[in-house]
Amino acid sequence: MDWLDDISITCFTASYLVVFALEISRIFFDVGLRKFVRVGLGAAGLLAHTAFLFMQGKLELDSGGIWLGSWFGWCLAAAWILAAAYLWVSIRQSKSVIGLFLLPVVLVLIGVGLQLGVENQFSVGRAKSIWNMVHGFALLVGTAIVALGFVFGVVYLVQANRLKKKIHQSKHFRLPSLEWLQRSCELSLVTSTLLLAVGLISGIAINLINQVGEVDQMSEGTIAWTDPVVWSSAILFVWLLVVSIFNTFYQPSRRGRKVAYLVVTSFLFLVLELCIVWWVGHAVTKPPVENVSLSQPMSRGLDAVPPFTIVASRQQNFIDEFQGDEIMGQLEARIINVAGEVRS
Amino acid sequence: MKLQVVGCSHHQSSVSIRERLSFTEQQIGPFLDLFYAQFPDSEAVLLSTCNRTEFYAASRHPKKIPSEQEMIDFLARQRGLTSSEIHADLYVHTNQRAIQHLFAVAASLDSMVIGEAQILSQVKRAYQLAVETNQTIPLTHQVFQSAIRVARRISNETDIHANRVSVPSVAIGVLAKQIFERLDNKRVLIIGAGDMAEETLNYVLAEGGRDIVITNRTLSKAETLAEKFNGRVAPWSELQSELAAADLIVSTTGATEPIVNLQMFEQADKVRNQKPVLILDLAIPRDFAKEIGDYLNVYLYTLDDLQQECDRNRQSRETHYPKARKIIDQETNRFLIDIRRRSSGPTIAQLKRQADEVKSAEFSRLMNRLGDIDPEQRLEIEQSFNRVVNKILHPPLKSVQSDISTETHHGLLDALKKLFQLGE
Repeated sequence: MDWLDDISITCFTASYLVVFALEISRIFFDVGLRKFVRVGLGAAGLLAHTAFLFMQGKLELDSGGIWLGSWFGWCLAAAWILAAAYLWVSIRQSKSVIGLFLLPVVLVLIGVGLQLGVENQFSVGRAKSIWNMVHGFALLVGTAIVALGFVFGVVYLVQANRLKKKIHQSKHFRLPSLEWLQRSCELSLVTSTLLLAVGLISGIAINLINQVGEVDQMSEGTIAWTDPVVWSSAILFVWLLVVSIFNTFYQPSRRGRKVAYLVVTSFLFLVLELCIVWWVGHAVTKPPVENVSLSQPMSRGLDAVPPFTIVASRQQNFIDEFQGDEIMGQLEARIINVAGEVRS
Repeated sequence: MKLQVVGCSHHQSSVSIRERLSFTEQQIGPFLDLFYAQFPDSEAVLLSTCNRTEFYAASRHPKKIPSEQEMIDFLARQRGLTSSEIHADLYVHTNQRAIQHLFAVAASLDSMVIGEAQILSQVKRAYQLAVETNQTIPLTHQVFQSAIRVARRISNETDIHANRVSVPSVAIGVLAKQIFERLDNKRVLIIGAGDMAEETLNYVLAEGGRDIVITNRTLSKAETLAEKFNGRVAPWSELQSELAAADLIVSTTGATEPIVNLQMFEQADKVRNQKPVLILDLAIPRDFAKEIGDYLNVYLYTLDDLQQECDRNRQSRETHYPKARKIIDQETNRFLIDIRRRSSGPTIAQLKRQADEVKSAEFSRLMNRLGDIDPEQRLEIEQSFNRVVNKILHPPLKSVQSDISTETHHGLLDALKKLFQLGE
């Protein structure tokens, strides 16, 4: 299984980029075997992506960290969900060019993960409880589904606008039917609301548990109820809840453009929420050692990211386990050594 | 082999002539029986559709096939006409042109609407009826099977069949599918009960439409149509409530004023709850007020909108015409080479057999004269005889093979038969 170690972000990002280029080429000309190449490359990219996440998680767990324990891992996992959705849609709706809308989101998530991730490790102590796992998982899948709903919503609006204005549908730019898009929007809205509800409730539970056990070392990171993350999450959830209730009981809202507008707005709320979460550094611990520059991996290209993530993860484990100045001094020396090894 | 076709089509014959020369399926069998009674050494296929009647005849012996005039006379007689009445409306193609023509017909390059799919099944059916009448038609079997294969090749290698070109097919098969994923759970309201309504309903049914409601000012017409398509009739007075309940509305009345004005649709819209609805206004003048298209989730398409799509698709099909024509030329040549190869086979075999007989006789005579000789020497002499025969036959046979793709091939075969005195 050593070959799995060789799988890098470049492998699957390149696959997705080629698939995206093939999707763009569909607008201009027909080639017989392109569909198979597109789906094959998409599947290969997803396989490499899966293997990468697996190996990343394994290394993090081996070093005492947590699976997907950084913004980097989190964004990559969200990108994986969307890439899987792309593959599913490209098989189910093989004639439509929905990949043109979906793949950029996948690529943006990978890019954002690379930009944010390395310096933003989730706190290990906080993430190891079952509540934290549920919290993280629900928010991850919920976020990916809101993003998916956003893509469906945008495609719906494009298709509805085209049909309303009676613009000819080129055989090179086919989109799914309005009915399919509407159903997909509704489904993503309901699913994301449920998942974000689970995420929010588990977040509240974590905070309450942490407040009760203040003396416990594991209870670090209790968040004030007035924290921007708490109220922005609450606003997002309330928005999704209201939209879902509105959607269930008021028939016109779930028809046509309205449901598309609702999912697009939900996504914008989500982006705002994620910006706040990232801005306040929710659930992450910054590396305390200044002389270990973790922003360097980009200098070695995309493939250099995983080892540094592991270094950061190991570093965080030591910090969680030992509090004394003396030990911290030794730790600093060890970290510098490890970083030196990786660089060399 | 000789193949000949006599026929008329929409290209140069009026509807009245085409009607007079058309045959029903039941009439084709007796027609062919009479033909075989008169021309027992020929094979025949009769293709009759609403746009063409074509009478194909083939024979292995070119002299035994009915002449052009005999075929025209026979066709005219069967329809109670005289040759002079139809002569000007008929075309006649022979051999290569007849094959090319059949290939083009089967691939729908000769159809009124290029790329229409129906003609191939009609060609298949015509051949099937011919086989039912006479099971030994090897020549027409070859030609018709090739025509079916060529039509499939053109369908696979070009986009000539790709886009729909009739208004109802574009409306239901293309436009409705961009809005609805499926039609089996949609309410389809048909306003009017004329030909256009009937044609559209065929496509609705083909796409899975089940819940069909038909309304018409004359209720009896609506009932007839509803019975045919397993639909339900709604009284004209309930038009407003039916408008509110429908997902797909097809309007085809001959009314001189819009039958659904803004006021009426406004009332229906209140109950509709902004449910997406596709309105296909296929009437001239229009049945729905233009402003109805501005309502939320209402997609109103008129005959002009759909006609534009049809014209675009028709033009798109025509761009594939040269490529399809090229395939037909290739396939015709391939077919002719194949036929020539098969037809030259018996002659070549006979020539080889004859040479072998001469060689064997001369070899036996020589052996008798030489008496008891060494087996090795005997073998050497025999091989020498074989080489002489092969060397003599090689140039004429090579000429026959290399000449197989030209039209003079038959003449060369005839010359070979005469030169070497080969029988039929």
